[in-house]
Parts: sequence; structure tokens; C-alpha cells
Amino acid sequence: MIPVSYPELDECCYRETLPNGLEVAVVKREGFTKKLAYFVTDYGAIHTEFTLDGQDYQVPAGVAHYLEHKLFDMPGGRDVSAEFAALGAVTNAFTSYDMTAYYFSCTEAFDACLRLLLEFVSTPYFTPETVEKERGIIDQEIGMNEDAPDSVIFENLMLAMYAQHPIRVPILGTQSTIRQITADTLHLCHRAFYAPGNMLLCVVGDADPEEVRRIALEVLGPEPRPVGQKHPLPLEQMTCPRQETAVTMEVAMPMFNLAFKAEPLGKGDEAIRQEMVADLAADALFGESSPLYLKLYEQGLIDSSFGGGFETIDGCAMLLCSGDSDDPAAVQAAILERAREIAAEGLDETSFLRMKRSALGRRIRQLDSFDTTCFRVCAYHLSDFDYFRFPEICRGIEKEAIGAFIARVVTPERACLSVIRPLNDSEEA
Amino acid sequence: MIQTIPLFPEITLRCCRDPRFKQGCLSLQLIRPMQAEENAMNALLPAVLLRGTRSHPDIRTITQRLDELYGASVSPVVRRVGDYQTTGLYCGFMDDRFALPGDRVLEPMMAFLEELLLESPLEKGGFLPAFVESEKKNLISAIESELNDKRAYAMKCLLRAMCREDSFGLSRLGEPRQVADIDPVVLYRHYRKILRESPIELFYVGSAQPEQVAQLLRPLLARLERAPIPRLPQTGFHSCPGQTLSEAMEVSQGKLCMGFTTPITNRDPEFPAMQVLNTLFGAGMTSKLFMVIREQMSLCYSIGSGYYGSKGIVTVSAGIDFDKEALTAQEVLHQLEKCRQGQITQEELTAARQALLSGLRATHDSPSAIEGYYATAALSGMGMTPQQYMQAVEAVTMEDVVAAARSLQLHTTFFLKGADQ
Repeated sequence: MIPVSYPELDECCYRETLPNGLEVAVVKREGFTKKLAYFVTDYGAIHTEFTLDGQDYQVPAGVAHYLEHKLFDMPGGRDVSAEFAALGAVTNAFTSYDMTAYYFSCTEAFDACLRLLLEFVSTPYFTPETVEKERGIIDQEIGMNEDAPDSVIFENLMLAMYAQHPIRVPILGTQSTIRQITADTLHLCHRAFYAPGNMLLCVVGDADPEEVRRIALEVLGPEPRPVGQKHPLPLEQMTCPRQETAVTMEVAMPMFNLAFKAEPLGKGDEAIRQEMVADLAADALFGESSPLYLKLYEQGLIDSSFGGGFETIDGCAMLLCSGDSDDPAAVQAAILERAREIAAEGLDETSFLRMKRSALGRRIRQLDSFDTTCFRVCAYHLSDFDYFRFPEICRGIEKEAIGAFIARVVTPERACLSVIRPLNDSEEA
Repeated sequence: MIQTIPLFPEITLRCCRDPRFKQGCLSLQLIRPMQAEENAMNALLPAVLLRGTRSHPDIRTITQRLDELYGASVSPVVRRVGDYQTTGLYCGFMDDRFALPGDRVLEPMMAFLEELLLESPLEKGGFLPAFVESEKKNLISAIESELNDKRAYAMKCLLRAMCREDSFGLSRLGEPRQVADIDPVVLYRHYRKILRESPIELFYVGSAQPEQVAQLLRPLLARLERAPIPRLPQTGFHSCPGQTLSEAMEVSQGKLCMGFTTPITNRDPEFPAMQVLNTLFGAGMTSKLFMVIREQMSLCYSIGSGYYGSKGIVTVSAGIDFDKEALTAQEVLHQLEKCRQGQITQEELTAARQALLSGLRATHDSPSAIEGYYATAALSGMGMTPQQYMQAVEAVTMEDVVAAARSLQLHTTFFLKGADQ
């Protein structure tokens, strides 16, 4: 394991690619009790088409998430959660559009917990009965999401914004797609995407990097295994098939998600630079220190629930803002107008430098959170970027890049507005 | 570990000096009794203070100042701690060692806090009406938006019904119509009064020496013209008859909430046993409720229990199909009965203890967790440090847990059901 120090951030990270292909990163935090480990696969809900051993496959929507639930089953009736609990650790997992992560946090018995994490994620054990039983639980999870306005509004937005990209389908799948999932489907996807060469192990805490490496090799074995080749995702136009979508639900106030479609990011330094440019563009356009935020807030068009930033998912990217508003269309019009002004006039140097200083300070503060740090190290790693290099990338950004991004992306053609209105709210006159 | 410095009568600064963190935090809380006469005003106050000062007259200039302080943040703190409501501000800021050479964050941050608290622009002896009106609208919308999270909404309905004889049944942020009635002059007078009279709790986590923090805070506190009134002690559950309630709504999933009472509060020696019982009964992924109702019976995705230690209330909530209400409720009671009968394995007991211990051990690894623990523990009457609490949890026996289970009484049930049910 090779240590790299980042004196500017007071961080030290050990990294290595093991012979089996697994990437390992240990963010050393001396003097802390808590240890957190993420075991992540570069595979998520949108990866439903792939080639494995020369054969093409298309699997139903919702498999990645179903698989995440079922990996907690072990042969012999072993209960993974109970075993972690006995070690005083807490375990859980999540599936996003483009990655799946399994993790635990503990304060003692780290080595045993790490072994258990690596073991259960790399042991597929599914029977038709257990797969069937899980359907009831996932049905309820889907039902819960259908009542959650934040999920509904974003899923509707994706459906309107994208013509073909699999982000159109919810991460959980639907009640009909999850009925097509069998134990065989789960085995297939596990074989395709849970080979060490498609995975990353990241530890944050006062752990011994060499010991982490040794345990990973011991549990997963030294041999690489074939990895499924994801099919390229559909290339989308920068215009949206539909620019508006609205539903009614049991909510208190009208809510909105407003997005502007951006070009998907590539990998490496340039991708991260673009992401930081886009985040700074969001701050400049509608962040709390922007003139637009103040104007909309004082007009009562937005409230403290308003916020936004840049979102990237494999094959998609967007500048997104959301909040409660009685008149989302007016918010959209004001943002477009302000974008035209910035595109024409540019930003002033003083406020640009202040924004950069703030962005850097906030990222440094967020390093205190083990979870945020672990998640970011993993997510950026999957984009071939070393997260702790963010200060140098940030410093290299010029204000002209912000203006250019806004001019290109924040335009009427790229806009899409998703709204939820309260059930008993009659249409405004 | 924690240094407590009484700065003035009824003003306590608690400091956790820890050079490991990359940020510091400081909270300032005024301690009020939770009561309908003022809870909406207390909830509104921090938002109004954050709208502007005489030298930073709007949100934009305030944010610009925070941006200059390396992306520092100041946010409202409005907490319920048993019978109290706290109102104040929470500051988060980068540690001085990451600042540019010669630059400081802590010192200007404290000066800015003083400005936010004491230099609000005034009009005719009140806060600026424009600030107050727009923050009233925001607060009403925040209160009404509690409806959007159906689980939280159902839980609020349950607690309101159970605690109708008690301030614990009041909305933490007040009711929309109370907010609507707030007048800028009355609000400002109330603010002056609570600055004068309330006990004040300050909590700091970060790399600075406690005495330095105290030194930075004294000028601000000296300006408060204090006439403090000590707070009343916390009380347990105020008894009233239980109820079986339901409400219909346009939803795809039902939410079942059950409320139990216990004489055991966090001021009692049996408190750690009740925490262990709650953990093995329903909190966590290896609890009886999770293992049976979700994993074995596939009735739900989310299920869990919670223990409100300051009051002596245990709640259970589950998201289920509408027609599974009776079955689920029956199984919850069945699992509780098993706890009462001592049908608890050694593994369950150990796992529950371990889960609590692990959480407590990690308390000192995060500034916000440290603040969250200490800034509320002292107020709620729970006098233990995490270390003492851990020792008490280790000492909990099977008999203690069974006794805790036996103290629980079902009080009220609330079911959020579909519109056509």
C-alpha cells in the first residue's frame, strides 16, 4: 500500500490495486475510534444491458437494488446483520443509478467486520423461496417511494428529460419489472459485476493499511475474474422530449425540480474540473450569495427550502434546483433571465474569488464526516480521480469558465420543470 | 474531556477541545419552557435574526460574509428537549489552521455571531416587518410540509394524541395560525425578554482553548442585561386515557404508529435497561420487529421503534398495506409479550448492548455528534457522560431488560390509511 500525503488537507491516503484487480484505498485517521468501510461495485440501476463471456444480456429494471437486498442472505441460515451486530457494528447498503455500496461502521473488531463485509458481498446465495419472499418487502419499499414527493418529483423529471437513457426508470424498478427477477437473474448480475476487478474497497479510520490489503486478498483470492462489459448508454440530445411535467399529490405546498441538461462528463481531471465549474456556476447563478436568490426570496417566490447544484450520473448530467414555490414557472423565467445577464456580462472577480474560497472551505469542513469522505473517495475514484486533489483543481478554475458554462447550459431549450401540486389546490386563476 | 465554564449566572459554556477536527462548531441556545404562548415565536426568531443586521442588511451580504469566512455556516437551532424548547443559532466553521497565512476564522466568527444576535435592524421598536412577514410564511410552509413525510406526519399525530395533557404534544415549531398572528413589535419584545431571562447554554467543539472561547464570548454576553430565571425540572408522561385513531389520505401505503408509556425516563437508574430493551425490540436491523415483521412476514420495508427518554414514551411505526393493520399491530404486541416473558436470546441482548456501546464510543468522533449529545443531555436531565452511560449499558442484565419491557403499557394507536379505506 502506497501512502500519499495531502498536507494542505491534513490527510493521508494509502492506495493499491491488488493482483485480483480490486482497488483498495485507506484514508488514515489517527486517533479516531470509528472505522468505516465501503465495498463498492461500479454497477448500478441503469446498467441493465451488458455482455458477459461473449453473450449479450438484457435484465429487468430493479435488479441492482434487488441484488443488494438479497446479498445479505448467506448459506446455512446465517444472518449477516446479526453477525455484524454481535461485533458491535452496524451494516447497510444502498443502490444508486450508477453504483452499489455495502458498508459497515464499527469501533472495535474491525478486522472481523472487514472479513464479514468482503465475504457476504462476494457470496451470492439465493433460492427461489428467498427471492420470492423479498418481493413483498420491495413492493412496500416501492409503495413508500410512491408516497414520497421528493422521489416522485425527480423520477418524473427524468422521465420528461430523457428520451432513452435508463435513468427514466426508478432505481427500485417497478412492481411489474421486479416480478421478472429470479434467482438466476441475480446470479448472472453478481457474476458480471461483483468480480474484484469491478470493485473498490475504501476504509476511513485508524486502520492498518497492510492489514486491510492482506484481508482483502485472503477473502477474495488473488485471481482476477471476468467482468461484464456494460453496453454504451444511449447518447441523448441536449434538448428534452418534454419540458414540463406535473402531478398532484398529498403535499402541503407546490414543489418543483428544475433542471438544465448538460453534456455527460468523461473521466479524470477534466471531468472533475467541469463538475467544479458547474457547482460554482450554480452558486453564481442561484446560490445564497447571488443577487437572484435574494430577489426571489424577497419576492416570496422561493423560501429556505430552495437549493441546487450539479448532478452527474453515468451518461447524464444536469444543473438542478428544487424547492417549494407557488409559481415555479416564474422561478424558471427569472433563472433564465439572470443566466442571459451572466452570459453577457460575466462575473466580477471579487465575488468569484469569494465563492471559490467558500467552496474550498466547505469541502474541507465536510472531510470531518467519515461517511461523506468515504462516499466521495469512492464516487470520484470511479471517475478516475483522486478526491483529495480537489484544492488544486479548484484553484485552477477561471471565472470565464463559469460564464461559458452558464451560457451553454442554462438556456430555454435545455430546461425541464417537474412540479407537484397539492391535491385540493385548484388551478390558479 | 468537557470543560464547563459558568460565564454568568445561568449562562454555561461547555467546551470540548479537540484538535483532530477540521472544523469547529458553536451553538448558543436559549432555554424556554415549551408552551403554546411562545413556541411559534421561539421557532421564528432565529430565522428573522438571519435575515440581516445593520451592517449586513440582507441574506446576500450575510452569505457573502460567511463566504469570506471560508464557507462558514450559521443556522437556526430550534430543539425540543423534554419539556423545554430551545432556540438559538448553530455556527460551523473551518479550523484556523487551514486558513491563509495570517488569516483567522474563529475570532471574526464570534464577532459575527454577536452582530447577528444583537444588531438586528429595527423599525418602530420591532423587527423589520418585511423580514418577519416573509419568515412567517416560510415557517408556516415548513410546518405544513411535515405532511409530505407520511411517516413523520403519522408519528406527530400519535404524539399529539398521547400527550394532549403535556407540552410534548405541542408542535415543536408551533401551529400555522399562531405563526400567522405574530407581530414584529411583540416578537422583538419577546426576544429581549428571553435574552434577559432564559438560561443560556453555549457549546463549543474545536481546537481552541476553552478560556480563549470564553474570552471571545464574554463581550457579547455582557451586553444582555440579564435577569435570569432558572428553568423548572423535567417531568415524565402526563397521564390521560388512550385512544385508537385513524386518518384517511390519498396514499399508496398505510402507516401504523403505536405509542407505549413507561414510568422510566432518562433521569432514572433503569434508563440504560430501557434503551437496551428498545434496541432489541424494535430499533435496528437485528431487532425482533425487523426480523419478524419485515424479514419473516414480509409485511413492510420500514419498521422501527423509538424511545423518548425525557418523557418515558416508546413508539413503533411501520409502513404497511392497508389491510395489514390488525395483523401487524397484533404481531408488534406479540413480540413485546415475548420480551416481557423473557424470551430474549443472549445474542439479542449482546447485539443490542453492542449497538448502543458502538454508537456511544463514536460520539467523540464528530463535532456535531459531540454537540448533539452534550448540548441536550444536560438539559434533558440525563446526567451521564458517554463514558458513564457506556458503563451503565454494560451492566444491564436480562432481568433488567425484562423488567423494562414489563413497564410498557400500550396507550394509543394511530393509523394513516388510504382515502377509500
